Amino acid sequence: MALHRLPYRLRHTVTHVRSLHTSGCGQQQEAVSVESQSEPFSVFRTHETDPACHSEKHIGQHYTLPSAHIHTLFPHGLPRRYQEQVKTFNEATVMVRQPALEVISYLKKTDYSKPAVRYLFYGLKGSGKTLSLCHAVHFCYTQGWLVLHIPDAHIWVKNCKELLPSSFNASRFDQPLQATEWLRNFRTTNGGFLSKIKIKQRYVWTKREFTEEGSLLGELVNQGITRVKSSSDVVGAVMKELRQQSGQPGSDFRLAVAVDSVNALWGRSTIKKENKSAVDPEELTLVYNLRKLMRSDFIGGAVITAASHTGSLYTSKSNYLPQQLLGEKGFDSMDPFIPVSVPYYSEKEFDSCYLYYMDRHWLQHPQSRTEEGKKELIFLSNRCPSVFERICGYL
Amino acid sequence: MSASLSGLLKPWTPRVFLVRWTRYNPYYLEPEVRKEAYSRPETALSAEEKELQELKETRPIKAAPNSVTSSVFHDPVISKFINMMMKNGEKFLVRGIMADTLELLKRKQVEKYHKAPPEKKEEIECNPYVIFHQAMENCKPVVGLASIQKGGKYYQVPIPLKDSRRRYLAMKWMITECRENKHRRTHMPDKLSQELLAAWMMEGNVIKKKFELHKMAEANRAFAHYRWW
Repeated sequence: MALHRLPYRLRHTVTHVRSLHTSGCGQQQEAVSVESQSEPFSVFRTHETDPACHSEKHIGQHYTLPSAHIHTLFPHGLPRRYQEQVKTFNEATVMVRQPALEVISYLKKTDYSKPAVRYLFYGLKGSGKTLSLCHAVHFCYTQGWLVLHIPDAHIWVKNCKELLPSSFNASRFDQPLQATEWLRNFRTTNGGFLSKIKIKQRYVWTKREFTEEGSLLGELVNQGITRVKSSSDVVGAVMKELRQQSGQPGSDFRLAVAVDSVNALWGRSTIKKENKSAVDPEELTLVYNLRKLMRSDFIGGAVITAASHTGSLYTSKSNYLPQQLLGEKGFDSMDPFIPVSVPYYSEKEFDSCYLYYMDRHWLQHPQSRTEEGKKELIFLSNRCPSVFERICGYL
Repeated sequence: MSASLSGLLKPWTPRVFLVRWTRYNPYYLEPEVRKEAYSRPETALSAEEKELQELKETRPIKAAPNSVTSSVFHDPVISKFINMMMKNGEKFLVRGIMADTLELLKRKQVEKYHKAPPEKKEEIECNPYVIFHQAMENCKPVVGLASIQKGGKYYQVPIPLKDSRRRYLAMKWMITECRENKHRRTHMPDKLSQELLAAWMMEGNVIKKKFELHKMAEANRAFAHYRWW
């Protein structure tokens, strides 16, 4: 499948024609002539940046995330190596794959007057669960939903620098640093909604600080960011408000809860109390409130999660299935949910990724561009996305 | 001496079999690692090669070392560099460091490439292997100094160097420079990639050291006739 790139003089005409594109799905007529002309140029790339318009024929193709969306939607959501890749290639592309498409198609067809459906991405290590989650979250964002994205629940149950006893409930513990960081990122993502949603309950933080009923959500979030001590309770309050208000006839927003590494909520934690005994995740305010969201008793939204072994504590290396990672308690709380398996690359997807790396000048070793080299790459990586990316890094 | 006796040796197998040693009885033959050698048909072999094939059916063969592969990506210069960087036999750690170094080199260059205007793109070299080999070539000294005793005094005499010695000196200088003269808290891949890029551009401390050696050799040119080999 040796694809030849368009000669340079033709490429200028292609880029010129590409500027005729209008956004939206209704670009088929103009697109057909452009696609057939630029066909050899973009078998691995599609110009369709709107996830709502992705379909089966885009499977294996990379679509570009607009840079404005990345800064607002993913201040903390993307994996570290992917962020480095975005910086190197000067663009953020995500491959359209079957699991994400499935979840997006379900999201399009759900009846939003019923309680939220829970989706769980699961798969072997490095198979693309987090990026599938990000693809689904991008879809929700482009549809105008309110996105509650917790990029990695494991950071809430390990390496805690500051653990305060909770002011609200004496048996629980607060984590002010993680809570403020999350609130800051939440403010970046959902700036528009913060000035529209009003809270329906009065919250008293200390003797002199309180948030009145009817004030904006933005004030609540700012309260949490400025007053670091009460930030975990603010997170709980925000989650409660959004949960109660989503789908109600008065509010016009839909709530998308996206949690990566959801198995952290029901696992063990490495945080120790002062008497050296381990803290149960249930005793952490952040985890406690997030578990309430996971019950998905709210309407007009969806809960999209991913169960990952990377970063998980006290789990055996061979565990990757939902039941193994979530444990009994987690599985019972999450049940019923829709499990979506994320496999390694298929042959077509692997070819597409290979061509993308060639296009971005990432595969530099002269042998890696031959058939022999490609066969060796398939053998070494077993078509696993993360392993393939690491191998191509030094080739 | 043992090499000249190899013709006189009779077919011999030891009672205790040596596996994975570096010192073998010269009766043992070298292993053939390349894939292409096994896919050639009978007719393509010349007379000597047919003889060699028949010899291989009877004589024992040395065990292939772990670092030699039939992979298309195998590079002997990089293997030698990895072995020189290795401490306490931890090859896995050093291979990771080398992979990170090459990746960092590539990342810096590819980032520059994608941000450059189209007319500058052709000049930017993105291949980390090319940069590594070129940097090593730039660091290799042409002449070295030997300490030769004449009339009770020791003189630093300029001498020609073997290729292996030149490669050894270039790699040793690179590694010692990165280990000692950089900030304590940086990781080896960062230090190495910085120094390799500088050497590729003919700047940096390693190139300076090479030029100082050349200057010393030039200064001691008068004693060159003290060399007798």
